[in-house]
Amino acid sequence: MPSTAAGSRPEDLTARLDRAAAGEGEEALLTVLREVKNQIIGNKTKKLVYLHLGAVPRIVAALASARDPAVIVQAAAAIGSFACGVEDGVRAVIDAGAVPCLIAVLSHANDKVVDAGARSLRMIFQSKLAPKYDFLKDKNMKFLISLLNSDNDNVIELAASIVAHSCEINAEQKALCDAGALQRLANLLEGSSNQKDACLDSIAAIIRKNSEVGMHFASIGTGKALNSIVKLLKDRNPRTRLLACVCAISIGHASPYYVQDLQTRTKMMLILVELLEESGRVGDDAPFALSELILDDEELHKQAISVNVVENICDCLHKYLIQPRRLHGILLVFAELCSRLEECRCLLMSQQVLDTLVNALKHDCPDIRAAACTCIRSLSRSVKNLSAGHLSSERFVVPLVHLLHDTSISVQVAALGAICNVAVDFAAKKSVFIQSGCVKQLVQLSKSMDSRLRLKAISALRNLMFLADTFAKESIIRELTISTLASLICDSETDIQHQALALVTNLVDGYVDAAEHIFADDGLIINAVVRQLHSASSAEICIQGMLLLSNIAAGVESHKEAVMSYLVSSRDDKSIPFIIRFLQNKDSLLRTAAVWCIINLTYQDGPDLSTRIARLRGAGIVSQIKTMINDPCLDTKYRVRTALEQCMTFEDNIP
Amino acid sequence: MSHFSTLRILDLIQTMATSKKVITREEWERKLRDVKIRKQDMNKLVMNFLVTEGFVEAADKFRIESGTEPDIDLATITDRMAVKKAVQSGDVLDAIEKVNDLNPEILDTNPQLYFHLQQQRLIELIRVGKVEEALEFAQEELAPRGEENQCFLDELERTVALLAFEDVKNCPYGELLDLSQRLKTASEVNAAILTSQSHEKEPKLPSLLKMLIWAQNQLDEKAVYPHITDLVKATLEDPAI
Repeated sequence: MPSTAAGSRPEDLTARLDRAAAGEGEEALLTVLREVKNQIIGNKTKKLVYLHLGAVPRIVAALASARDPAVIVQAAAAIGSFACGVEDGVRAVIDAGAVPCLIAVLSHANDKVVDAGARSLRMIFQSKLAPKYDFLKDKNMKFLISLLNSDNDNVIELAASIVAHSCEINAEQKALCDAGALQRLANLLEGSSNQKDACLDSIAAIIRKNSEVGMHFASIGTGKALNSIVKLLKDRNPRTRLLACVCAISIGHASPYYVQDLQTRTKMMLILVELLEESGRVGDDAPFALSELILDDEELHKQAISVNVVENICDCLHKYLIQPRRLHGILLVFAELCSRLEECRCLLMSQQVLDTLVNALKHDCPDIRAAACTCIRSLSRSVKNLSAGHLSSERFVVPLVHLLHDTSISVQVAALGAICNVAVDFAAKKSVFIQSGCVKQLVQLSKSMDSRLRLKAISALRNLMFLADTFAKESIIRELTISTLASLICDSETDIQHQALALVTNLVDGYVDAAEHIFADDGLIINAVVRQLHSASSAEICIQGMLLLSNIAAGVESHKEAVMSYLVSSRDDKSIPFIIRFLQNKDSLLRTAAVWCIINLTYQDGPDLSTRIARLRGAGIVSQIKTMINDPCLDTKYRVRTALEQCMTFEDNIP
Repeated sequence: MSHFSTLRILDLIQTMATSKKVITREEWERKLRDVKIRKQDMNKLVMNFLVTEGFVEAADKFRIESGTEPDIDLATITDRMAVKKAVQSGDVLDAIEKVNDLNPEILDTNPQLYFHLQQQRLIELIRVGKVEEALEFAQEELAPRGEENQCFLDELERTVALLAFEDVKNCPYGELLDLSQRLKTASEVNAAILTSQSHEKEPKLPSLLKMLIWAQNQLDEKAVYPHITDLVKATLEDPAI
């Protein structure tokens, strides 16, 4: 039993390493290095023991000073193994300065030595912790190209993994393309299967989200490189198929001219679904590639239905114990598939994935929680699902509300997105949101420093307010408070102003007494609204504000009078009233909203009606409306007629 | 009524049975003559078989005689065969060291194979009755792997169970001590080495023969034709009508 025999324990070997380095000669060193290497390969526990004993710096030092090729090979192999599978190992190896030593080894005359150095470096560069290689330095780029041009397979694979690990930004992609790396990698696609995979991985890194480089790749050898990729979609090796798909998807996104026919896209979709059955990294990465492939591609979504993609993925979900990363990817695929087509949503709802979704909302991994929220948001785009109330039950709402407290902002944002949609709930079962503490937390988030959170929170509250009953409306406004609402109407972000105004509109809609809130605290809200109408440059804000005034103007006499006071100032104000600006605006929706306000002000006979019309006329509003009798927008035109009829009827009655 | 329809169905089955196309021996042989197979392709298949199965000397002779270049350095076959032989003869430690010399990535990136080799080491210790050493080895080397992976833990438990029996050969998990277990481990190592060399794990010839049998089964449903039943003789048997 060598591992327990005297002198073979890690402590002994580390001591022997010191003695050998101190002058026992290279032969002793060789024996110890080989023994250490054979103990640690495949054995995480042993690696950690040696790490704590400080063996790594000793081995790197031995590598740096070694002359005997056999010693270099053993030292390099041991270093590579420390960098494999143990993060602390990678750190130790890098900290001990192994990378430059190993790079020096690459120019050794002995092939075996070069092999060992290249393999060891590749182990290091396969880790996320490895240093980024700076391609933008001329010297570095030349060295990399020399590695790519080597006739040693291990060196080529090393170069490819350096690219896959380090190439991130646009400038690096462009530089690698200009230096001929992309061309060389394309040529290497004809090589052995390990080399093919390494090249595909680095090609994917160079062309990712870079349409210029992607198009260049497609033109290499007048399409020869692209053909190789398409051919590799059918490779026997699952990893090769996956990587070929990833490359083809990038190229397809780079230019709609390539790999974009429906048949190829469908084929890739089926390949990726099939790869979901693979164990390990291939199966884990497949759904991410799939969600990328189907992104914003409605035609492909339709195709997905006809080739049973949803059913097949659901089968996988039910058949295997799904690893977190794979589940994350699958949820993204579902979210994308349900983002557009009602048919997909129905299909998914019928596949008994709701349990999976509920569990995913409670998963340890934040990415999965966020993806589950996105999925629910897509599913709740369906009026049918909302009406049936499937997603607004406690089963979903309670965990969703819980996620509003999540420590990760992206999870909070995703949860808000889901609640926003689910809250629309036509069945008007809003009580669950109030009882679950949802409103309370939404109000908290509407005061957040993060504008994304503020926006989504106020949108969710707006949707909760939509068609809610009196009790729900009162509960929401009590929690939110008049002053918070007024400050949201004047938020620095236009989108937030818009949502806040829409919330007030929903509040007033069909609930006359709500106007009391609008005028409460010396008209805090109405003043804020009018301030926006005076100053806002965005048509959207003005439309929303005018719709709100219209809703208020539909109320009792006192409300109408209040609105009037804002439209027609009694003071000797020479400036043009804002409503005239709106009536003249080029946005037809704004014109219509403004006319609606006049209609509501002049509707129904009341004691003050004649005075109101007179004041409107005095302010030049009626004559402005008269000029709009042939408005190019049909909707505006009809409203204009109604408004004029109401004003004229009264005019006729004037004795 | 039902009587009538039963008759109809029987009638239908009969027509279907006799409607199979009949292909005579002459016709079949003529069709086969039209299929062209290139000599080089045959040679490549043979070379692929020799290389994958590890017949290094035969492969070298065949290379010289037929001029077919192997897709792999023949020297690596010798190394691979040495590893395989070491496992087959029960010297697992030697096999591990040889694999690590060949390519240190193989066992570092293949936890299952590494576990099976260590398990084989444990089996060998149990086989020669080194109980204490076996227990210590199981605890020191294999238990941590079991912690990393539930499947490994189950396998480890089965292996350690061998120690609980007086007559290990006849205990429930006695098959672990069979020669076949060594061969299984050896072939797993062999496959991993081949994969690391970008070479396919299986020779192509057996798949071709499998494909032949499958194709015949498919065709049986549609036609009657001269069959190949004996793969070794590959003679066409007259169609039985």
